Amino acid sequence: MSQKIRVLVLGADGFLGRQIVQGLRNSDWALPIRAGRRTGILDADGLERKCFDACDQSALSRALDDTAGVVNCVAGGPETLSESARALFAATADRPEIAVVHMSSMAVYGSVSGRVTETAPMLGDMGAYGLAKIQAERFAAVCPQAVILRPGIIYGADSPQWSRRIARWLQSRRIGDLGKAGDGFANLVHVEDVTQATLNALRFAPARGQIFNLSLPNPPTWNEYFLAFAKALDAVPIRRISARALKVETKLIAPPLKILEIFARKLSPGLLPRLPEAIPPSLLGLWRQRIQLDVSKAESLLEMKWTPLSAALAKSVSGQENKR
Amino acid sequence: MIQDASDIPDNSILKSDICVVGAGAAGISMALSLMESGLSVLLLESGGVSEEAETQTLYEGEVADEALHSPPASYRQRRFGGSTTIWGGRCMPMDPIDFEQRDYMPHSGWPISFEDLRPYYERANQLCEAGNFVYSSTESYPARARAMLSGFHSSNFSTEQIERFSCPTNFAVRYGDRLAAADDVRLILHANVTNISLAEDGKSVRLVQVKTLSGKAFQVQAQHLVLCVGGLEVARLLLASRDHSNQGIGNEHDVVGRYYMCHLAGVIGTLAAADPASVWHGYDVSDEGVYCRQRIALLPSQQRAQGLANFVARLHFPRMTDPRHRIGILSAFCLGKFLIPYEYRKRLIDGGKTTLRVWLAHCRNVLLDLPYTVGFVWHLIRDRFLAERKFPSIIIRSKGGRFSLDFHAEQEPNPESRISLGQGVDALGMPRLRVDWRYTQGDVDKLRRSLALFAHDVAESGFGTFQYEPEMVETEMLRYGAYGGHHIGTTRMGDDPRSSVVDAQCRVHAVSNLHIASASVFPTSSQANPTLTLIAIALRLAQHLKKQTVPSSDFNTSEIRPQEART
Repeated sequence: MSQKIRVLVLGADGFLGRQIVQGLRNSDWALPIRAGRRTGILDADGLERKCFDACDQSALSRALDDTAGVVNCVAGGPETLSESARALFAATADRPEIAVVHMSSMAVYGSVSGRVTETAPMLGDMGAYGLAKIQAERFAAVCPQAVILRPGIIYGADSPQWSRRIARWLQSRRIGDLGKAGDGFANLVHVEDVTQATLNALRFAPARGQIFNLSLPNPPTWNEYFLAFAKALDAVPIRRISARALKVETKLIAPPLKILEIFARKLSPGLLPRLPEAIPPSLLGLWRQRIQLDVSKAESLLEMKWTPLSAALAKSVSGQENKR
Repeated sequence: MIQDASDIPDNSILKSDICVVGAGAAGISMALSLMESGLSVLLLESGGVSEEAETQTLYEGEVADEALHSPPASYRQRRFGGSTTIWGGRCMPMDPIDFEQRDYMPHSGWPISFEDLRPYYERANQLCEAGNFVYSSTESYPARARAMLSGFHSSNFSTEQIERFSCPTNFAVRYGDRLAAADDVRLILHANVTNISLAEDGKSVRLVQVKTLSGKAFQVQAQHLVLCVGGLEVARLLLASRDHSNQGIGNEHDVVGRYYMCHLAGVIGTLAAADPASVWHGYDVSDEGVYCRQRIALLPSQQRAQGLANFVARLHFPRMTDPRHRIGILSAFCLGKFLIPYEYRKRLIDGGKTTLRVWLAHCRNVLLDLPYTVGFVWHLIRDRFLAERKFPSIIIRSKGGRFSLDFHAEQEPNPESRISLGQGVDALGMPRLRVDWRYTQGDVDKLRRSLALFAHDVAESGFGTFQYEPEMVETEMLRYGAYGGHHIGTTRMGDDPRSSVVDAQCRVHAVSNLHIASASVFPTSSQANPTLTLIAIALRLAQHLKKQTVPSSDFNTSEIRPQEART
């Protein structure tokens, strides 16, 4: 136990943060320390917790005093994303002994299509989230040891966006076969693979200062993902969703649903689970985008092996059933 | 990238590694397959994005017997997407037996096998949005499969085979965006290929002549030229390209245009089930949401044993034009037939006279069957007109388990059945087509024996009866003429140049860089509708060309003025 290195996980209470904490905990070389806004010193599972604002550079700097590594999984709005990254890289800039892993996103590539390596230009032309992620990566310039991971679509049983939400939409037949609207590539990467990449990035010296795409090497299209997931959920036959129906969903139904959701969140949170979730228009662009992440660098330097889609879906479905 | 021919400088020369002529099912599939291969692809399409009367007129031609064959401009669309803009979407692969040389089927035998095409069929299924390449009910939807004819036991026929239905996918709408976004594929609309010029030795294509209806002309040079213009137009283009030989291209042995086949189809007899509940003749839905339908298929072993052609049949409603069926919706179709496109209307015009008495009887049917008719119309609006994946055809409830039999059978290859050049020229100066489709007594005989075999098996299994008039088989087979839209065999594939036009790789025997991807290369017609197989053929050819062709800077897709080309 005494030989284990201490690794601070920023955003430890989010979907990905929880998985990374668990992965570090299960290793024989790391001791994770949760960092987040939740108060407390010791969690019920015996792990240490530090409570501070990740955008506060001096607080973060203090929290890093007794750690050998830090993983940044902070989620939130664009400002939080870029400010927390600025604080992290400034705090570690002159501390090369601390291994830094920063979770970026394929969103930095923007609307580009085709096979994309880590050297592709960052267009950031698909919204504030992508721009914030680009800004965050730029802050890393002062921190030469930082490893930047650019995962595609992180899915897995607990993934609220790409597994649980998709499952609900498939089961209610609101999505299915989208025709050409689902022809884009779903650059899926299982959450356990992202965790493994993070652990390897912390330990493997050749990874220092590098950027890595993370995704299934031959990703399915979104239509293929939806069909495979629907089969795993026994939500077949799937329906063809016409372009017209998708437009109605995203342009006519989504705005009032979003407004209802905002009101419910403030006035009656108990109502939230009963409200159908809006399908945001931004997803239409993603589902059509024919971008394919090149992951050969992650395979060679991080020694990544990927969880096959079928195995990942089986885990997702059994995970969701267990939760029920 | 998508351009219009009007944007191409007059008299220029376009160059590309691969030039594909025709942006229909085969041409678009080829272009998609060649995308990102490192090769530059030029895709030439005669039409625009929608039907244009002036362009469609270029298809007009003569028919030797109009009772036997529809006008050449029908069932075909000269526009981006080709005939996928109007097709019905039925997808079926050929059967392994179709590729065999069969003693009882004259001129049969392919130089490739089913297994050679199988990997490409899977991708073809995807492109057609027809789901997985699985064609049995028990494998496609095991939990929901039900017997088509429960209690019908036959050693001659299977009822487990299914046909799958495309949306039907309009390839231009479905894949146009991808072609537009591609930087290695250049699609040029309103570009009509009017002539293919061979090199002096006649062994390779030198130039392709392209014209527009507005009077512009340019040429194309490519490492390989692929014709994807459909079974009639391929023959026309080869026969009309006479710079090197008066016989045209690939026609040294007078084979181009011969062996023209469609399918033998019609509706006949009455199948009466002893137990009406034992029949399921509707559509099932596969896991992928694809409509599937079971049919009656003559087993390959029995085809071989009894010397029969490939044959399938579906359960059908009674003849629409005869109001004695008393089914309101069928009568409604007859009364409103003028609103229905020609390709679908044809079966409503079967030679019977629409007298006032017949017309009144149809009106009576509609009125007496009004609730069902209204329900059916709503189903049509919801599941066909408004749906992106359309309910494929009209399925009518059976009154008392009685159906007619809708057969679809293989036609014998016959060198006397042919496409040739007719009188007159079109607006671009190309000779018009002449279609002389013929059938043989062998066709009639084989069909008769298949139907007799089915009638025997229905009775023997105790399922019910199938009653028909054997002497009416030929009449019913010809009632609507050759099956529309299936243009097969006019540049058949084979090893022997004396009896075929292209080799096993779809290359014109005598011309090293001229290829054909079309139903015209099928040596035999099978029972299957041709679209899925012609796409598989196109994908196989694309794979072959990818392996065989080295990208060349001499064939990039820039324009060169003739003067520049000479310097």
